[in-house]
Amino acid sequence: MRLGEALSKIDRRIVFAFMALVVIVPFFLPLGILGRVSRPAQQVFDAVEELDPNEGPLLMSVDFDPQSMPELYPMLTSVLRHAFARDVRVVLMGLWVTGVGLGEQALNEVAPEYDKVYGEDYVYLGWKPGFAAVVLGMGKSIPETFPTDHYGTPLESLPMMQGIRNFNQVPFAISLSAGDPGALTLWIPYVQSRFGQKLGAGMTAVSAADAYPYLQSGQLTGMLGGMKGAAEYEYLVQQAGYSTAAMPAVQAMDSQSMAHLAIILLILLGNIGFVLTRKRRQ
Amino acid sequence: MHVFQLLTTAQGIWIWIGALLTLFIFSFLFGDNPLYKFAEHLYVGLSVGYMIAIYYWNFFKPDLIDPLFGQGRIILLIPALLGICYFAVFIQKASWAVRIPMGFVLGWGSGVAIPAILQANIIKQIQGSLFTTQMLARWDTIVWNIIILVGVITTVVYFFFSREQKGVFKTISNIGIVYIMIGFGASFGYTVMARVSLLLGRLQFLLRDWLGVIQY
Repeated sequence: MRLGEALSKIDRRIVFAFMALVVIVPFFLPLGILGRVSRPAQQVFDAVEELDPNEGPLLMSVDFDPQSMPELYPMLTSVLRHAFARDVRVVLMGLWVTGVGLGEQALNEVAPEYDKVYGEDYVYLGWKPGFAAVVLGMGKSIPETFPTDHYGTPLESLPMMQGIRNFNQVPFAISLSAGDPGALTLWIPYVQSRFGQKLGAGMTAVSAADAYPYLQSGQLTGMLGGMKGAAEYEYLVQQAGYSTAAMPAVQAMDSQSMAHLAIILLILLGNIGFVLTRKRRQ
Repeated sequence: MHVFQLLTTAQGIWIWIGALLTLFIFSFLFGDNPLYKFAEHLYVGLSVGYMIAIYYWNFFKPDLIDPLFGQGRIILLIPALLGICYFAVFIQKASWAVRIPMGFVLGWGSGVAIPAILQANIIKQIQGSLFTTQMLARWDTIVWNIIILVGVITTVVYFFFSREQKGVFKTISNIGIVYIMIGFGASFGYTVMARVSLLLGRLQFLLRDWLGVIQY
């Protein structure tokens, strides 16, 4: 078999095995590849950094499900760590029914690290169906949209929620979104545009490229794009001395970088094979 | 060994179940098989069951059942009846009733969505593509905004099909193609990162939580 044909007909199982090797080895031999922190990630960090603990809470929306956990869950935990370390109160909610447990899991994981008390330092509103109706309702009245929190406790009985009526009392909101409903389809048109809410976003890498126009226009204050965005935020939080917790996204960036190199190599090999085969046919 | 010690705790048994189901899903790389099908069907079934439970406890009970039967708010019968009308689609003679809630949702949805989308995706985006005093503040922002403005105009020209693309029109359109290709390239690169991230998430689970051979 000629070289061109051989390159064009590599058994897919060899490709899978090669990729597995490329992504597993860096877990045992770390390379320390992270690269520079991107400007959109720094902007999200700065926005949380500027929040005054004596003012309104940080609102975060868990708009993803377990399928996007590797990208968005590290963002959720590291932003929570950042907020709790600065004594900024947090209101967590979700617009994806299958993400309800993830929000609860993150709070149960991070809040004890900073001795935060439920109802005083953070509240979990949980999930409601209706997407646009939910966020538009929150713009009018959060207690009317969520009369109770995720655990069935009336909102008015939670000390932290006293005086929080709508988005006017929320200085910054972040949507961690894996698609629709999420930052691009819901929070920007219905919350940022309509109520002028200062908004940041954490996106899966698939939709990160679509978010850049909203950064340019100023509709998004900042953005964390995919696992790299999560790694950047973990790094910033640890560099600032807010956390000493494990950094899963940072750890995975070595494998991520090696996988990209491997894919570039495979694309080149495939194209070389294609060109050689075509020349031979001609 | 860590992996066998897990079997002595309740959480560890769940990690074992998660690890085995992950391997079942990965087995699809070598072809469709009963283990993959089992994991796939289990995932779908569990997701639906979980969603029904959350819908009941987070929505039906606090927003409909408790206020309707506990506080006597009979006004809630109206949305409840509208919701029930959706099930009329399963009864041939009464299937017309499904149009009532659908009409309501479409009307409300359009009324809410059209101005919001127009404002967020068209007006604000046009503003973002034009020169403003803020954009003219530094030399680098001026350069980037010229690049963006050229990109917006040439890309829009590429999608202008009412006139044959030749001469200057074709040149501008070709510049638009370059911008579109750069956009596709960025999307492809990000998509690769997304897919690799999902693999890495599973590998971290297998290597750390299950086998215990790596730490963060």
